[in-house]
Amino acid sequence: MKLTLYQELLHLEQLSVFKTKKRNMKKILIYFQTLILVVGLGSCGEDFLDKTDPTALVSDTFYGTDQEVTQAVTGIYGMLRGYFNSHWQFTEFISDNTTLHFNVGNRGQGPALEAIEYWQYNAGTPNFASLYNNTYSIMVNINTTLEKLKTSTASQAIKDRSEGELKVMRAYLYFDLVRLFGDVIIVTEPIKTPADAFQLQRSPSEAVYSLVLADLSDAINLLPPNYPANQVGRITKGAALTMQGRVRLHRKEYPEVINSLKQVLNLGYNLLPNYADVFRPGNKNHKESIWDVQYQGENLFGVNSSFIYTFAPLASQGAVIKFPGQDGGGWNTPSKEFISLYEPGDVRKSVSLKEGYTSNSGAWVPVPFINKYNNPHSIRGVTDDNWPIIRYSDVLLMLSEAINETSGPTSEAYEYLNLVRVRATLSPLNGLDKNQFRMAVLKERRIELAFENHRWFDLKRTLSPSEIKTLLNAYGKKEREDPTTSRGGIPFSQEDYTFEEYQVLFPIPADQIRINPATTQNPGY
Amino acid sequence: MKEQFQTKVKTRLIGLMLLMLFTTLTALAQSANVSGTVKDETGESVPGATVVVKGTQTGTVTDLDGNFSIKAAPGDILVVSFIGYSAREITVQSGQTVYDISLEDSMSDLSEVVVVGYGSQRKADITSAVSVINMDAIGNVPTTNVSRLLQGQAAGVEVRQQSGRPGEEMQIRIRGIGSLGAGSQPLYVVDGFPIGNSLGQNVNPADIETITVLKDAASTSIYGARGSNGVVLITTKNAKEGKVGLEVIVNQGVTNLPDNRRTKMMNGVEFATFKNESFVDRIRYFSKREPLIEEIPLEFRFPEQTAISTDWFNEILNQNAKFQNVNATLTAGKGDIRSLVSVGYVNQEGAIIKTDFDRFNVRANVDGKINEFLTMGVNLSASHSRENFAPTDGRSAIIGRALWADPRYPVYKEDGTFNPYIGGTGGVFGTANVVQELYETTRDLNTNNLMSNAFLEVSFLKNFKFRTVLNANLTGSKQKEFRPSTLAGGGFNQPPPREATLMERTVETMNISADQLLSYSKTIQKHRIDALLGFSAQEENTSFLQGNGNEFASDKTKSLNAAVRTTSTSGEFGWSLLAYFARANYAYNDKYLFSATFRREGSSRFGANNKYGNFPAFSAGWRLSEENFFPKTSWITDLKLRGSYGITGNNAIGNYSSQSVMRASNYVFAGKIATGQILSNFSNSFLGWEQSQQTDIGLDLSLFENKVILTAEYYNRITNNMLLSVEMPSVSGFTQSLDNVGKVKNIGLELGIDFRTKVSRVNLRTNLNLTFNRNEVLELRGGADAIWSGSFYGSYNVSKVGRPMAMLYGYKMMGIFQTDEEVKNWPTQDGAIPGTYKYFDATGDGVISYDQRDMIEIGNPHPAMLLGWTLGGDVGGFDFNILFTGAFNYDMMRNIEATTMNMDGVFNILQSGVNRFRSADMPGDGRGATSNTWKWQRESNSRYVYDASHVWLRNITLGYSLPLNVIKFKTRLFFSGENLFLFTDYPGTNPDVSTGGGINIGRDDEAYPVPRTFTLGATISF
Repeated sequence: MKLTLYQELLHLEQLSVFKTKKRNMKKILIYFQTLILVVGLGSCGEDFLDKTDPTALVSDTFYGTDQEVTQAVTGIYGMLRGYFNSHWQFTEFISDNTTLHFNVGNRGQGPALEAIEYWQYNAGTPNFASLYNNTYSIMVNINTTLEKLKTSTASQAIKDRSEGELKVMRAYLYFDLVRLFGDVIIVTEPIKTPADAFQLQRSPSEAVYSLVLADLSDAINLLPPNYPANQVGRITKGAALTMQGRVRLHRKEYPEVINSLKQVLNLGYNLLPNYADVFRPGNKNHKESIWDVQYQGENLFGVNSSFIYTFAPLASQGAVIKFPGQDGGGWNTPSKEFISLYEPGDVRKSVSLKEGYTSNSGAWVPVPFINKYNNPHSIRGVTDDNWPIIRYSDVLLMLSEAINETSGPTSEAYEYLNLVRVRATLSPLNGLDKNQFRMAVLKERRIELAFENHRWFDLKRTLSPSEIKTLLNAYGKKEREDPTTSRGGIPFSQEDYTFEEYQVLFPIPADQIRINPATTQNPGY
Repeated sequence: MKEQFQTKVKTRLIGLMLLMLFTTLTALAQSANVSGTVKDETGESVPGATVVVKGTQTGTVTDLDGNFSIKAAPGDILVVSFIGYSAREITVQSGQTVYDISLEDSMSDLSEVVVVGYGSQRKADITSAVSVINMDAIGNVPTTNVSRLLQGQAAGVEVRQQSGRPGEEMQIRIRGIGSLGAGSQPLYVVDGFPIGNSLGQNVNPADIETITVLKDAASTSIYGARGSNGVVLITTKNAKEGKVGLEVIVNQGVTNLPDNRRTKMMNGVEFATFKNESFVDRIRYFSKREPLIEEIPLEFRFPEQTAISTDWFNEILNQNAKFQNVNATLTAGKGDIRSLVSVGYVNQEGAIIKTDFDRFNVRANVDGKINEFLTMGVNLSASHSRENFAPTDGRSAIIGRALWADPRYPVYKEDGTFNPYIGGTGGVFGTANVVQELYETTRDLNTNNLMSNAFLEVSFLKNFKFRTVLNANLTGSKQKEFRPSTLAGGGFNQPPPREATLMERTVETMNISADQLLSYSKTIQKHRIDALLGFSAQEENTSFLQGNGNEFASDKTKSLNAAVRTTSTSGEFGWSLLAYFARANYAYNDKYLFSATFRREGSSRFGANNKYGNFPAFSAGWRLSEENFFPKTSWITDLKLRGSYGITGNNAIGNYSSQSVMRASNYVFAGKIATGQILSNFSNSFLGWEQSQQTDIGLDLSLFENKVILTAEYYNRITNNMLLSVEMPSVSGFTQSLDNVGKVKNIGLELGIDFRTKVSRVNLRTNLNLTFNRNEVLELRGGADAIWSGSFYGSYNVSKVGRPMAMLYGYKMMGIFQTDEEVKNWPTQDGAIPGTYKYFDATGDGVISYDQRDMIEIGNPHPAMLLGWTLGGDVGGFDFNILFTGAFNYDMMRNIEATTMNMDGVFNILQSGVNRFRSADMPGDGRGATSNTWKWQRESNSRYVYDASHVWLRNITLGYSLPLNVIKFKTRLFFSGENLFLFTDYPGTNPDVSTGGGINIGRDDEAYPVPRTFTLGATISF
């Protein structure tokens, strides 16, 4: 119904008061009408109240065209940038690979990052809540887009590709969730009303794995092995297959691991001759890269990374990050134990980390830091480094591990392992028994894939909770006695670096249980 | 004070009617002509006053100069009366034909006309809860903001001066907090134009004629979806009928902060001693031995030798800040066209250096008759204001850092330049020099405002009037913030030089509304009917453009084009509403009064399924004193009982909240940016009005010829379907969503007493108003739900069913652990050592968990009673006015103490920290924790909760009017003292402070202090 204000007023004519009489009455009415026109609220109808944000698109009507579907999928890729900005906390930093650069000045970090490092976390630790909430905020976009694809008028090719990409991303996120939190709530469709969200309960891990594997097999069928040059960076069939291998390796389904990963060998991937080239921003999406989170620096478009700003030592004042006065965050600092693992002559050491730096005043400061993501850049705070999710060397090492588990250290198993070692200018290994080989592959993974968020998961899939407890507490004891970085005279708290078995699973964030008391907590919390 | 009502159109009409009545009835008695002049107490002539010969129907009305002429015989009694004055009787003496009659102010006159929503009403006819602010009783207060005028003036109106920042708009709440999720600010209506939930800084207090506060649903429901939190109606001045004049007010003063309103921190020696002891204590406790001298850092080893001691808080104070205010108003009220032109300038320097506010206002109000049936008018006001502001509030801002900055560092280096980095050694946090920061940063906010109200009114068919109104409010502001490279960073431990940063932002808002009002008014014998039919449309649009720059070749080039890197952003948003409304008032015999209003309103802010809301209200009044059976006592002048019920709404939920929109989330493919879109919020197309149902019962009692006026009011307001940002399980993809859930009740009692008397030559008057409000959450999403806001290290406010909204929550502090033994025997407090706070195990599970589980209610931030008390009087040429305001029985979380009593040694601490716990042998005063650890002392807990009951002596004004025989024009000189004394046990500097925002109330993280202002001024009328 469209009524102009002018018409509204004309309606008044029908009122008896106006009908009654008199010529001058009519004159007055005409006068009013003209007046209203002059007042100029031309069309004051129902659409006067229809206001939408002029700077944004309304979601109900989105997802219709090729362009919109592509943008929705791109948006979810974009969310991965944020996800990986903090992924290191839960997969690397928590482990024995890295520690922190102790901040004598600011002791207020207790409940957050320090609690993760010292294994003093609990259900209230805010970082777990962020991880949990962020994961599901990506999930709602995946689920909404998948749902809308069904009715979208986009072309079938775009729909297929999008479905494949989204399912790999969903599988990746649920695989993380189930490994970090155990049983989790499965959501595969957008939630319609707030009340519906309260009905959802945690599903057994097995159901989560089924969903992950189902999504991956769908994706393998839908995704192309590679893309035209202008689409590089999208998730490929190779990424889906490797993810399938990873999930099955975690479940110790070794023949299936071999089956999945062998298909990857034929997709044209290869190791780069030089380990350092793998991480150079100038050399992105190379033969060895199967799935990277794409970042871009050298501009202010907001799609950059900034990992080194978190990882560089505190108060380094531009000596590490080459901007005047620039400090790092002092997090994810390579531990003394980890640094000692390198074999002499391993070219990967100086690429992956530095054992200290020369301060502005020329003094050597023995605070180690991760160097993989430390590359020259021209804008402060804006780095160009991608984050590797899947590299070909990971495929080789997983394959090598699976073969050893099924048939012992065969020559094929040695072949894949030694490809990685030789590239690092180390001598090939041979003559190991099955268990020695197993240990060798795991150590090789730790070094080759250092600071790429594998350590915590490798511990969890190869060790029992009590073995993890023993291993971590031994490492913790070393850190307490001889910390990687100086503590400025401030002693450890009694409980720091004490790991309990139940902590192999993260707590369901306290807020989520408070909001919906029907949600169960993991044991121990 | 009577002047304010004289000019109202209705008054004129009454005057005219009387004139017609009396001239036709003038008897032709065989009497002589008696003439004279009617004047008021100040000698001003009173036009329109009626003069009647008592007992007859002979009467007349004074002309524009107050002159009258009437036939009367000696011995006749002339009754002279006029609205706002006590009637006078004068006996005609034989031989005397000329009488100069002076009228005195009446205390209150029930025929006064009060401005209400879309019109005005006789005070006697009002059946709803309406408070009229007596502008004369406020006196000349040195203020830049209109909100100050409401302070202490009306029951049910809480005015909190949350900060002393120049130009600051105070927080106004009418009848409690009615909403958890949407705003609780009233709607401001200026000359009939609903401009929004904030008046801003740009209305000149000197231009205001009256302020009416509408409190109950019967009076506010005509504003529909914006009426829930009350309405403040502001009417600007216009020329008095028949008068031409020029009034000039000049006001000059000084602002400063008294010593007892400053927070006392440790000086250099005390702080070094504290640091020294903290090293000693740590070694004693952790290593169980006496420290070696060399184990204490050199800078603290000999604390008594600390050479420098800077009181950073004192350093940032401007103890000689100027206040200056000039207003000139020219009025012309002769003839058919009345006009007023005013100009005003105000300049207020802040109590903190380099902060100030100034504003230039002009106004032109013109209205007049075009012919018998057409009236037209326009009010135009323009202002320009400029503010130099600083981020003062909170521990990380200027005030906070002035408190905790290391006192062992000087403000200036030996060469006289600023010492750019304070602290940063010996484990003390480094920070920027706050004095340098105030001097060297640029922070300007320039605002231009243009408001216009225009109307055309047509009278027709005797009883009808049609009024068309067009209002426009245009606001443009320009903000510029530059932080030079010479300053240390804004955070902790960021020594200079840093990157210089610049932000420039322009915002433009245009608000337009149009009303079409048809009114009908008729009296048939004892029946009086007023009716109103209206249509209103309003739209507001705002757009902004912002640019940021980083890294500058020089700190001298403060413009974006000089920046190495720039980014820019812009935005647009707006809302619209459409409403139809009607009101009918009916009075029978001035005894039985009824009123009904209805508004149907649609808003762009609500979901597609819930765009329109209906807001009905009814009220009735009974003037018992008019009944025949009512005992005719000499002392009861008037008694009225009234009641109202109605529904109002609240739409303050922001724009587009019901819609889910996409937002950008870009990515990179093949080295190129790819645009991506993701969902930004949960979509709720059922989002609708927050509704308040309010019942009001009131009693108005006038005693002793209006010398004493009592008003008592009970109200019960229930807010339904609260617009609330509800927490959702995050598996939905969002952590919260706006929804209509929950119910809150506010019940209250308001008492007002007005008393006036004359003791020989001394006129005395006093007004006391008391407010008692009780708030209770009746329903949230589910039965056991709670809404948490705040943070672990800040303070929590929790709303639970059955309790008042937003109660303070935290650990309950039970004392301080004295020994390891005591720690062991207490429920497990992970990491606790002797000297940390002992918390209450609320869950009783043997563990004090380091999250919200063991937190309980530790304070109530809602005052149980509010007080406003004005005392005034005059004798001869002298007059005085005193205002007290108070709030009683409520709690504040003094959150700044989590920083200023943080024993880490990273901050300077309060002087009282000397009495902290050091060991079982040196337990201190039981209020300060050990310096050996950081845990279990800074969490939201009851240690920092204080009773904030207080009384402010807000203002004393003393005036002296020069005798007219000395100077030819009226001159009044006055002195005013603002915010003079604060009586309280609260340890903070301002018990009205609230740094939390939203419903994170009752939190004191230290804000811009409230200074006192002394001014001298003069009012000169030509």
